[in-house]
Amino acid sequence: MSTAVALPAEITGAGRRRRRGSWLISACLVVVGVVVVMAVFGSAIAPQDPNAQNTFFILARPSGAHWLGTDSLGRDVFSRLIAGARTAFLGPLVIAASSMLLGNLLGLLAGYRGGRTDALIMRWVDLMWAVPGLLLIIVVAGALGSGYWLAVGLLIVLTVPFDTRVVRGVTLEQAPRPYVEAARTLGVPDWRIMLFHIWPNVSPVAIANAFLVFAGSLTSLAGLSFLGLGVAPGTPDWGLMLSEGLQDLFVNPIAVLAPGVMIVLTATSMNLIGDWLQERLSSKGAAR
Amino acid sequence: MTASTTGTVSTADPVLDVTGLRVTRARPGGGADTIVSSVSMSLGAGETIGIVGESGSGKSMTAKAITGLLPPGLTAHGEVRYGGRNLLELREKQWRAVRGREIGMILQDPFTMLNPVVRCGQIIAESLPGEARRAGRAQRRAEVARRLAEVGIRDESVAHRYPFQLSGGMRQRVAIAAALARDPRVLIADEPSTALDVATQREILALIQQIQRAHGMSVIMITHDLRVAFAVCERVYVLYAGSLVEAAPAAELRDEPLHPYSQGLLLSEPPAGHRVRELAVIPGSVPSPDQVAGSCTFAPRCAWAAPQCRQGTPPLAEVELPGVVPGRLSACVRLPEIRAEMMLARERAGREQHQAVAGRAETALISVRDARKVFQQGSRAVTALDGVSLDVGDGESVGIVGESGSGKTTLARLLIGLERATEGQVTIDGIPATDWPALSGGDRRRLRGTVQIVFQDPYSSLNPMRSIGWTLAEAITTHDRRARNVPARVGDLLASVGLPASYAQRKPFALSGGERQRVAIARALAVRPRLLICDEPVSALDVSVQAQILNLLTALRAERRIGYLFITHDLSIVRQITDYLYVMRHGRVVESGPTEGVLTSPRDAYTIKLIESVPGRQALTPRSATTSRE
Amino acid sequence: MTARGWAFFLARRLAVLALLLVVVSFAVFSLLYLSPGSVIDTLLGTNPRTPAELSYLTSEYHLNQPFLTQYWIWASQAVRLHFGNSIQTSLPVTSEIRQRLPVSLFLGVYAYILTVLLGVGLGIAAALRRQRLADRGIVGAAIVALSTPAFVSGVFLIYLLGIQVRLFPVAGPGTGFFGELWHLTLPAVALALTATAYLVKHTRAAVIGVLDQDYVTFARARGLTASRVLTGYILRNALIPVVTMSGLILSYVITGAVLVEDTFSLPGIGQLLVQSATAKDLPLIQGVAMVIAVVIVLANLLADVALMAVDPRIRLGRGSR
Repeated sequence: MSTAVALPAEITGAGRRRRRGSWLISACLVVVGVVVVMAVFGSAIAPQDPNAQNTFFILARPSGAHWLGTDSLGRDVFSRLIAGARTAFLGPLVIAASSMLLGNLLGLLAGYRGGRTDALIMRWVDLMWAVPGLLLIIVVAGALGSGYWLAVGLLIVLTVPFDTRVVRGVTLEQAPRPYVEAARTLGVPDWRIMLFHIWPNVSPVAIANAFLVFAGSLTSLAGLSFLGLGVAPGTPDWGLMLSEGLQDLFVNPIAVLAPGVMIVLTATSMNLIGDWLQERLSSKGAAR
Repeated sequence: MTASTTGTVSTADPVLDVTGLRVTRARPGGGADTIVSSVSMSLGAGETIGIVGESGSGKSMTAKAITGLLPPGLTAHGEVRYGGRNLLELREKQWRAVRGREIGMILQDPFTMLNPVVRCGQIIAESLPGEARRAGRAQRRAEVARRLAEVGIRDESVAHRYPFQLSGGMRQRVAIAAALARDPRVLIADEPSTALDVATQREILALIQQIQRAHGMSVIMITHDLRVAFAVCERVYVLYAGSLVEAAPAAELRDEPLHPYSQGLLLSEPPAGHRVRELAVIPGSVPSPDQVAGSCTFAPRCAWAAPQCRQGTPPLAEVELPGVVPGRLSACVRLPEIRAEMMLARERAGREQHQAVAGRAETALISVRDARKVFQQGSRAVTALDGVSLDVGDGESVGIVGESGSGKTTLARLLIGLERATEGQVTIDGIPATDWPALSGGDRRRLRGTVQIVFQDPYSSLNPMRSIGWTLAEAITTHDRRARNVPARVGDLLASVGLPASYAQRKPFALSGGERQRVAIARALAVRPRLLICDEPVSALDVSVQAQILNLLTALRAERRIGYLFITHDLSIVRQITDYLYVMRHGRVVESGPTEGVLTSPRDAYTIKLIESVPGRQALTPRSATTSRE
Repeated sequence: MTARGWAFFLARRLAVLALLLVVVSFAVFSLLYLSPGSVIDTLLGTNPRTPAELSYLTSEYHLNQPFLTQYWIWASQAVRLHFGNSIQTSLPVTSEIRQRLPVSLFLGVYAYILTVLLGVGLGIAAALRRQRLADRGIVGAAIVALSTPAFVSGVFLIYLLGIQVRLFPVAGPGTGFFGELWHLTLPAVALALTATAYLVKHTRAAVIGVLDQDYVTFARARGLTASRVLTGYILRNALIPVVTMSGLILSYVITGAVLVEDTFSLPGIGQLLVQSATAKDLPLIQGVAMVIAVVIVLANLLADVALMAVDPRIRLGRGSR
């Protein structure tokens, strides 16, 4: 087909979808942008000190002074919400990035090399596959003591198998293709093939996956803090705020619901961005 | 029962009458793309008609429109008259009474057509008419066995097996039995043999004919292969870019095509019987129907195009010229003027060219001795190559012919270092090449610079995420690390395969299949090899594009004096391109010799069977007075 | 597959899983030694550090023996479901677990049933109305549900349905079957939400994948009824990836249970685990961890068996003629 007509329907379709759904993606990007700003600047932009307690003013309803009211120790919920963005963003970022790096490397190796390398890596992946990560962390936290960065480290270990499996799947599809074999017959070294030939075809899935991992880690870390096994008590953190305010749900529900809404909003935005990226990136190469 | 064999069409009471069929696809942003712009045809009782077209012609969609099975987003307009009503107006519930009962259809790929989790017997049982289905178990089983026997399966255990346990040919037979379970009056066969081996193809086509005669069915055969149409059909409709360009009785069409496209299609296929100097080629590639709306669809590629061809869509009209039987239709407005020229072009293209075949070279560039390759699949050992010996001299063009499973691809991979022989010796340019990893880096480089390969599937031969220029540049620099002026060399490579230098910026998805294959050839040539292994390089391409690539390969050989090891299952192609031939079967060489000699006077029974399986080579049943070579 | 074949398969799988349990038990046991501070201190917890206490602990936990012997003793007792006594309550671990297990099981099964019914049902509905409003709505809801961890959805459910509209109770497990059912509805829904979302996505993708297949077109071409096509073709084939996912679904349900039990004050295994982790009650942690490991292993085995039953290609091996 001549070039003018060769644009597959996927591209025009995606373009249209992009135009239609772009308001949604823009909204997600705005949400994420706001969270990033909150994470970076934290208490600097909060109207009040997130840790300042005020025993005269506990569990107050939203008002002019406290936009979202106060919690059981009189702290301003809105400021704590802003400060809490840091723990909500930093940990998941580290997890997503590290897991992507390690997972992609292992996945490429396993899918391209095959044989014993693959068998070894997949044994480990299968082992970790059915393990409920959160429980593992709880058990380990019980032995070693809880902590935010410990949880981050453990989550990295738990998420790498997931990334590996996904990347290995795509690599397995690509590796037997003639363009890879042609590169081999031309004498292109294996490492170059993996990084410069196969990975560009894997990248849409890998990058989209990173966003999904981010969203998942966000909820996992918040869950751990909720249980008291994540951040140290007293730290502004969305998950911890939820558990702190739970018993006072009747008095100032906002103190509990607001952090919950933030968690859902951020995670949803990241999930949507991840899905959207995958569509866009894979239609750029527009294989048949 | 059968329509007359002289080719007059029975327009009296056609069973199926299609008028002005149009298929459009709704575009997401509004508006519609045309898939089929206009098709009109009629099918008589007991008649077999063929719809011939390349990819992009719209033939499959025509079939799906007739059965109301268009994918979501596509709509059919026009009239399809059957049993006194317009099928296109039917609602889904009404369709269910028509499909299977009146009009049956078999699809192209037997490997995906059958439900993988249901046993074959059940697939047939569920297709039986209501009363038979509700009958007792024993009766049902007997009926299923009867249906299987009708398609040539006498082994009762097949009914208990799952599709994945059967071969492609068997699956196709089961599918045919299922499609015919309700005794439809019309059967639409969409490329029923394309995915199969040549020998199996022939069997399936013969089976369809046999069933047709037994049931008095009418058959619409959809194919891209004119030879298949000529062998099986009484009347042929040629479809191009969504509209019909010609309709004629099969024999008449073969003897004298009355449209430049039909002629081009006919001539693109290398003649089975002899070699020609150069294949007649249709330049360019198939456009989409919308691109050529409002003019003759073939005009952009036609050697005889004139301004009048672009003024409105020419209708498919009856040809009234001396020597032409009545009932022939053509959409070429210039036909009366160019008829004589077309005849001349045909003669010229068909002229035999005798190639003086030199004796075989003394020293072989490639020498294979008793190569064996055994693959371990779990507990089973599969022998792909079983003692193959082969020689290819410098600059020679050698062909390897065989069906799937013959080991020809494994042999190619052996020569290129992608596989290692279990036993035997391979020598390339004096270097022992049996075990590539054991060689020194320098030796390996030399081997790579000597032999390169072009693969079959142009759609996955190029990295979809990289531009053409990047791929070619990498080919150049990997082999020659000190290469200078790479962009210029990339441009040269593109030019040598007939592509403009601007293509270097494009990504593969923007290129057609033929163009991608050219790039693949250019990539292989980047290291300036002395031998090019071509593993089925044209079987995934349209016929009209095949000829372009074959001509390119012939030209390259003359220019650069490189040799070919041409692997294919298609005997006409191998005759066109190669001087020496090896015939392989089940991992062994069963016959070898000069191509012309092997194909004209084959000695081995398998070679004979292969030659006879070429459609049209031996007519399945006498189709017209002029054909049969029984 | 023959009965003998089945027996071999099961035996092989059980052997692998038994090995897995051994590895897990070893890891769980070693936790005691990994925790900071001396083993004795960990075991003491908040109890007074008297010589009597110390000698009791040393003999009870065989702390004078080499590591592997200790493991062996521990393991042989664990197999008989003796995990020692909880440090906090001094009660046998086994009885603590036995007390809490029923609630968690009820909750888990309830949530699992909800997940499968809703997940598969909505997934199929979305796939059949592809690109239309219903599909988009379901997919959108699924994405939000995916991003809502069980404790957040629990809190929201409490607020909306427990406080604003006093429809459901917000704490405690209730008594009697229907009492439990009533009390555990909100927790089960909260628990099922995430897993349902995953199942919806995967089922939808699986059904869409099947709808595009040639064999569905061929079935329609033969005039088979819509219901036959739906059940025999679409569902049958879409079931395969769904069953493959069931191990993961179980993972989500178990994980979520921990969060949900805390939110709704349900005295279940999950809450027990969290309490023991917070209090560093090692014997209890070990006991609960092993019980959960066994449950997961068994469930995965069931999933494997189900997959073999559903996909004849796996059962009979590809390419067997």
